[in-house]
Amino acid sequence: MTLDPPAPHAARPRGHRGRLGPLPWIAPAVLLILFVVLWPVYEMVRTSFLRVSTSGFVRGSAGSDKYRKLFGETDLGHVLLSTVLWTVAVVGLTMLLSLGLAQLFDQRFPGRRFARWALIAPWAASVLMTAIGFRWMLDRTAGVLNTAMTDLGLIDGPRDWLGDPATAWPWMVAVAVFVSLPFTTYTLLAGLQTVPGEVYEAARVDGASRWQVYRRITLPLLRPAFLVGLVINLINVFNSFPVIWGMTQGGPSSDTATTTVFMYQLKSTDIGESAAMSVVNFALVVVMVLVFLKVSGWTNGERR
Amino acid sequence: MNKPVLALATVCVLGALALTACGSGGGGGSDDGGPGPGGKVTLKLVAADYGDKESNSSKAYWKGVTSAFTAAHPDIAVDVQVVNWNDIDKQVKTMIQSGNVPDVLQTGGYADKVADDLLYKAEDVLSAATRADLIDSLADAGRVKGVQYGIPFVSSARAFFYNRAVFQQAGITRPPATWDELRQDAELIKAKVPGVTPYALPLGPEEAQGESMLWELGNGGGPTGKDGAYTLDSQANVDTFGWLRTNLVGPGLTYANPATTDRKTAFADFAAGKAAMLNGHPSLITMARDGKVDYGVAPVPGKAGPLASTLGVADWMMAFKKNGHRDQVRTFLDFVYTEENTLRFYETYNLMPVTKDALSAMTASGRHKDLEPFFALLPQATFYPLGDTSWDAVSAELKKSVGGAVAGDPAKVLGDLQKKAKAATADK
Repeated sequence: MTLDPPAPHAARPRGHRGRLGPLPWIAPAVLLILFVVLWPVYEMVRTSFLRVSTSGFVRGSAGSDKYRKLFGETDLGHVLLSTVLWTVAVVGLTMLLSLGLAQLFDQRFPGRRFARWALIAPWAASVLMTAIGFRWMLDRTAGVLNTAMTDLGLIDGPRDWLGDPATAWPWMVAVAVFVSLPFTTYTLLAGLQTVPGEVYEAARVDGASRWQVYRRITLPLLRPAFLVGLVINLINVFNSFPVIWGMTQGGPSSDTATTTVFMYQLKSTDIGESAAMSVVNFALVVVMVLVFLKVSGWTNGERR
Repeated sequence: MNKPVLALATVCVLGALALTACGSGGGGGSDDGGPGPGGKVTLKLVAADYGDKESNSSKAYWKGVTSAFTAAHPDIAVDVQVVNWNDIDKQVKTMIQSGNVPDVLQTGGYADKVADDLLYKAEDVLSAATRADLIDSLADAGRVKGVQYGIPFVSSARAFFYNRAVFQQAGITRPPATWDELRQDAELIKAKVPGVTPYALPLGPEEAQGESMLWELGNGGGPTGKDGAYTLDSQANVDTFGWLRTNLVGPGLTYANPATTDRKTAFADFAAGKAAMLNGHPSLITMARDGKVDYGVAPVPGKAGPLASTLGVADWMMAFKKNGHRDQVRTFLDFVYTEENTLRFYETYNLMPVTKDALSAMTASGRHKDLEPFFALLPQATFYPLGDTSWDAVSAELKKSVGGAVAGDPAKVLGDLQKKAKAATADK
């Protein structure tokens, strides 16, 4: 390009652009990533090595003290375990139910358009609002769900569902599944609609049973959509804060906390330790996604 | 298609960042608080809002006080900022971190600011006469290592509330004075007045540190010992929670899960006639009256007899060193603490006084019949160890976990808390 004879009008701007390459075009995106992704991550890691007073003053370096304190927390063990169980339960149930719902919505039936719209409702509503709504529906004295279940004879009196971890967890899982269903179902539904009709026709001609068609054709062809739904759900549910905070605030103590909620609880007593928990959380998500990508063979594209 | 969208998003994000950057620096407006023309000084006052609606906001009170003050002292202007309780801690933190520090702050706690060496001593910003007028127990609660930094502004004390109608139905003639009487009364209420929670025990995160301390005081315990060191897991405290567990929680004489039940639930239940007994403070009077509950007030029952010294709570006034307006702040605070100004505040919000003058004026006036049981309690009240700069962190741990002591093993729960308190003390 530089060997071109100088053309008085066009040469200069072209020369500039040539030297900068694609930079002017990707610079906004790079800046955006630096600003909203990398910088906060840097700040988070830095804070985890600091001693910060409750009014927010930095009182010097803490070395690895905050990490040692964090790993010495008696609650950390069961919080980690709850996080794993929570993620597996919510994502598992969501994927399973969504497969069924997507199949249902892929059929033609009267009112399908309305049903599809209705499914968006839990997605469109703020998750925190949904969680707070459920908390009051389950309220010990005033909750409509308590009243309804008592009237139906399912329970013999109002119960404090969210006060006891044993009953709070199932309810929170149910609410988390409820708010995760729309996105997952739509992802799978989109996947189902990419499966060409001829494949099914061919299978029917060959005399395949319904179950065989589903297992041998639908599921494999749904794989890309399924994986997208799974990964996004894993990250979302692992990081899920509003459902738990809105319903129990992780209490009593940290008995219904996941690592994200635990991090927020630590914030009120020690900002450095809370940042250390954030770093651990961040690392867990990264590891989880990497392991998942490896196992699922995502990077190898559609091998099968 | 994608690139313009992305660029637009970038512009929006950068714009938002720029705006927030401006926002945190603003607030003070063009006034830097320094001496202006003619040696005029503008003090910046940040205060909490005690009103629950626009019409009774504390703004009106402070506007009145400051304009009267400026009329008397034309060389000192006061810029007032009234912030609601939910946001005041966060906003003050932002002000401190951005260097836009107020001269005078009125809020819920002071000790964390002492830890960062931000405050004037009380003796620097309050005349000897005004200091001598403060009720002693409250002034003591404002001390850190013997030096007073926190200046009490309003106070409150805890007493035992009971529902007279429920007591009558259950055939109880007088309020309980000891724990055993309380348990017997609770059993009677459970048997004869179904659907009512006999004793409301709120050990949820809202105010577990208060309810737990009241019970511990009843057994001669408490969060700290005589020397001021934390004694969260003392034998007296462990026994207190053991008693609550076997005598109230176990037999279902209180909520099923006290550890997740907040004080506001307990207050609302009492005001709705759904709870028969609880420990409350003066704001419950208005709630109970609005709910048409015929309530009685008595001293808080202890293990062997009623508490001689109940839990007192105060909100605080403090002055920051940063802007160097010591003399002006002193003039202003002496003006604020005159009987006329303090009384007007207490009467507007039905709150309790912090000065001896106002206390005797309110006791004598006869216009505060409903507060009278509390006036008697105030001078002997015991306070949280507010002067310990690690108390904020310890109190947060208590709020989160102490309720577990009535569900699980008290010794283990309190032992864990004690360990955390020790770590917080060491971390100061």
